[in-house]
Amino acid sequence: MLKKTITFLFFLVVLSSCKKEVKNTIDVTHLNWEEVIVNGSNKTVTLMMWQGDQFINNYVKNYIAPAVKEKYNITLNVVNGQGNVIVQTLLAEIQAGKSNSNLDLLWINGETFYQLRQINALFGPFTAQLPNSLYVDYENPFIGKDFQKPTEGYEMPWGNVQMTLIYDSKKVEKPPKTREEFLTFVKEHPGKFTFDNHFTGLTFLKALLIDIAGGQEVLSGAFNEAKYNQYSKELWDYVKELKPYLWKKGETFPEAVATMHQLFANGELWFTMSNNDAEVDNKISEGLFSEDARAYVPNFGTIQNSHYMGIPKLSSKKEAAMLVANFMISPEAQLKKMDPMVWGDGTVLSMKKLNAGLRAKFKNLPSRKYAPKRTIIQQYALQEIAPEYMIRLAEDFRQNIILN
Amino acid sequence: MIKKGLTYLFTIGLFFPLFFLFIFSIGRNWQFPAIFPKKNTLDNWSIILKGNSELNTSLTISLLLSSLVAITITLLSFITSKYIAQSKHRSFLILLCYLPYVLAPVILGVLLQFYFIYTDLAGTFAGVFLAQLIITYPFGIIIFNNFWTPLVFELEKLTFTLGANTNQTFKEVLFPLSRKVLALCFFQVFLISWFEYGLSNLIGIGNVKTLTLRVFQYINEANIFYAALASCLLIIPPGILIWINKRFLFKAETIV
Amino acid sequence: MNTGKYIAIISKSIFVVFTLIPVALGFGYAFLYSFGILGILNDGFTLAHWKKVLFTPTLWESLGFSFYIALISLTIAIVFALIIAIYLKQKLQKGFLSIAIYLPLVFPALVMAFFSFLLLSKSGWLSRVSIRLGFINELEQFPNWINDNYGIGIIFTSILLITPFFIILYTNLYHHEKLDNYKELSQSLGASPINTLRKVLIPILLRKSIFTIVLFFIFVMSSYEVPLLLGKQHPQMISVFTVDKLQRFNLLDIPQAYAISCLYGLLVLGTMALFLVKHSKIKLK
Repeated sequence: MLKKTITFLFFLVVLSSCKKEVKNTIDVTHLNWEEVIVNGSNKTVTLMMWQGDQFINNYVKNYIAPAVKEKYNITLNVVNGQGNVIVQTLLAEIQAGKSNSNLDLLWINGETFYQLRQINALFGPFTAQLPNSLYVDYENPFIGKDFQKPTEGYEMPWGNVQMTLIYDSKKVEKPPKTREEFLTFVKEHPGKFTFDNHFTGLTFLKALLIDIAGGQEVLSGAFNEAKYNQYSKELWDYVKELKPYLWKKGETFPEAVATMHQLFANGELWFTMSNNDAEVDNKISEGLFSEDARAYVPNFGTIQNSHYMGIPKLSSKKEAAMLVANFMISPEAQLKKMDPMVWGDGTVLSMKKLNAGLRAKFKNLPSRKYAPKRTIIQQYALQEIAPEYMIRLAEDFRQNIILN
Repeated sequence: MIKKGLTYLFTIGLFFPLFFLFIFSIGRNWQFPAIFPKKNTLDNWSIILKGNSELNTSLTISLLLSSLVAITITLLSFITSKYIAQSKHRSFLILLCYLPYVLAPVILGVLLQFYFIYTDLAGTFAGVFLAQLIITYPFGIIIFNNFWTPLVFELEKLTFTLGANTNQTFKEVLFPLSRKVLALCFFQVFLISWFEYGLSNLIGIGNVKTLTLRVFQYINEANIFYAALASCLLIIPPGILIWINKRFLFKAETIV
Repeated sequence: MNTGKYIAIISKSIFVVFTLIPVALGFGYAFLYSFGILGILNDGFTLAHWKKVLFTPTLWESLGFSFYIALISLTIAIVFALIIAIYLKQKLQKGFLSIAIYLPLVFPALVMAFFSFLLLSKSGWLSRVSIRLGFINELEQFPNWINDNYGIGIIFTSILLITPFFIILYTNLYHHEKLDNYKELSQSLGASPINTLRKVLIPILLRKSIFTIVLFFIFVMSSYEVPLLLGKQHPQMISVFTVDKLQRFNLLDIPQAYAISCLYGLLVLGTMALFLVKHSKIKLK
């Protein structure tokens, strides 16, 4: 019985390695837009995205989906899944030698983009084919580059956000703005500040690392081992100094930013943070945060980055996915998305490239109430550094801070 | 006196979590040190129920999937467990049944995902159904394992000796004897399937949108009030199942 | 009788299809991956991943911690279950309580963990009630029960999750094994109620439930959602530790995650096999 099973197993493994990659008969990258419309219409597109936010879900479900249905008769099937699920699924598909992906469109950025490129799972370059791509602000390094890597047409910018720290203005009169002030503050108010052990916390650590290195320029470009070793050592020294005064004496960190939000909402923490500068307004209107919550950006700055749409190499509906992506970066869809009552996500379009009428519409969007204006925090915006920095920071954070 | 106190304490303990979660599901704004949320409102409920017209579809999918899994497993494991119990290698086979539980379903999902994708079952209802059968079948076998005591086998033999055929033996002897275990198995497996998230999400590639899949998103989110509400949504249907099944479950047999 | 034979063959095949094949396939995949034989980011056979896993103390700490959590949770849960099942047995067999006892069973692990979080965290419900009652003056004075060093939050939640199962089990066993007869017998032979409990009732119940105890031990040891929400980053329970390697930022860690899965599977299976051998010997005696 066991023998048979093992034989079967090996049979499968052998089979999987023999299965040849079936090549798409049409090279989609050479189609003109009319051909894309013809090939892409009347299909179902499966979009995998993180569905952890009411506002975002409603925007996609009640605005994007009906619009592409009307325009191209495309049915948008939204499925839930974040970075690692996307990578895992596509990895398994490639390993299984599939010729036809279950996914057609992916909401990704930074480390997921890096990982997907690592396993060669993305289709492209496709973005130049999208007509609305003309309006995209590629010259802006916060949009045209993703974690220092040129997107090279393998992902379409969709939105742009900047990290903010959120604090309770009733308890914190003057939020700390420099590394020194943070140290003084946590010493005076132990247990009220922390950062999470995941993406958001790491983004905060990156901002500190850039500050320690002496500015954006020092760490820009490809990963530099020597620089990393030099500055990260200083970073860990600094974090170790903070550690005894962090939440739970820095012996543990919230596993995810959601937990940190909950602790903030309950009053256990006085600070939380968000990779989305509009989030504080959303969370107050949901009734989770009190109206005393405010967002700010410290003087050493915070990371600003963009999020993107990618198409799996194995998708059989690339043209349809391109049609959806193109609509997502149309001025009307971007305008709608930027409304704080809808989502409040920053646009990736260049105002210079839009006509005066549209520009005015973007300008006249209602502004958010509890977070500073984008133009104000923009001056403190830091570019993402190469993804290897994050991978190393995550590992070394565990080694130096958690295991110590 | 002590017994009475214990009874009250225990009863309160049984209902407290549900009551507690319900209070939070209608709450907003829970600032320290207020004991309960400042505002009580049905807004949370209406937002979630209104914003998600698909919740109904999901409820249907979940009920269908879980019932199908529970029925299949109850029948399959009832019939097959008999032969496992008669096997010379009974202990070894039962040992194997524990294996799927060694790994968290998320990990098992990752290990099996390759094969589901390879066979084009990933992302389909059938795939999720099969994946759930894989994790619940051993559990069914374990539940039935101790039903097959020497006494039951002797009774069965006796019926054969008296001239009954396989069918009759099953209908007249085995089934009545095992009714309670069957009910228990159905209920347990239904629950496992109902709550299964990690494996179903991975194998279903988010395509098979069960209620649990939708609801877990809220629980994993920051909003404690939506999470509490979502918890209530998950708990209520099987709660009703208990109520309906109370006659069957009443004095249900052991799960040894 | 012929149909019986067919059913026997079909039954055994079904067993093989549903238990042996998936497990063998899953572990086989993990095994090959961990040695670098499978996987598009692997470059062929290597022992590096296994070496890395075996020589990292965190793995062993993680195993030890998981074992500790399971041991404590199960011990306390069984004690509670025995007390409740024995003292409230009439109430649990019919009437309101006999149905209400099933209520906790409809709480999935994640929901129970979320409930514990709301209840036990420093800013949680109990802390607020303590302030109101004047036991403590501020949030910092409330004990550390969530994300704490001893896994108190995880243990609390596990106990909430498994105690009802054992209560139901023991109530049914008590009835099924006709323990009242034993009780009468023992007492008519002059044993005190305490001695009857200690020497007769509890040993019978424990012996009869040994498989369930082992099953739940594994359940708790391998639990994922509860320690993810309520645990610390160090030490981590084994599933959290594995998923961290599997789904974090470094794709090159994936083979290690598979190695850990194989190792843990083998460890548990080995221990269980030993247990079974021993247990069947006891039975024979």
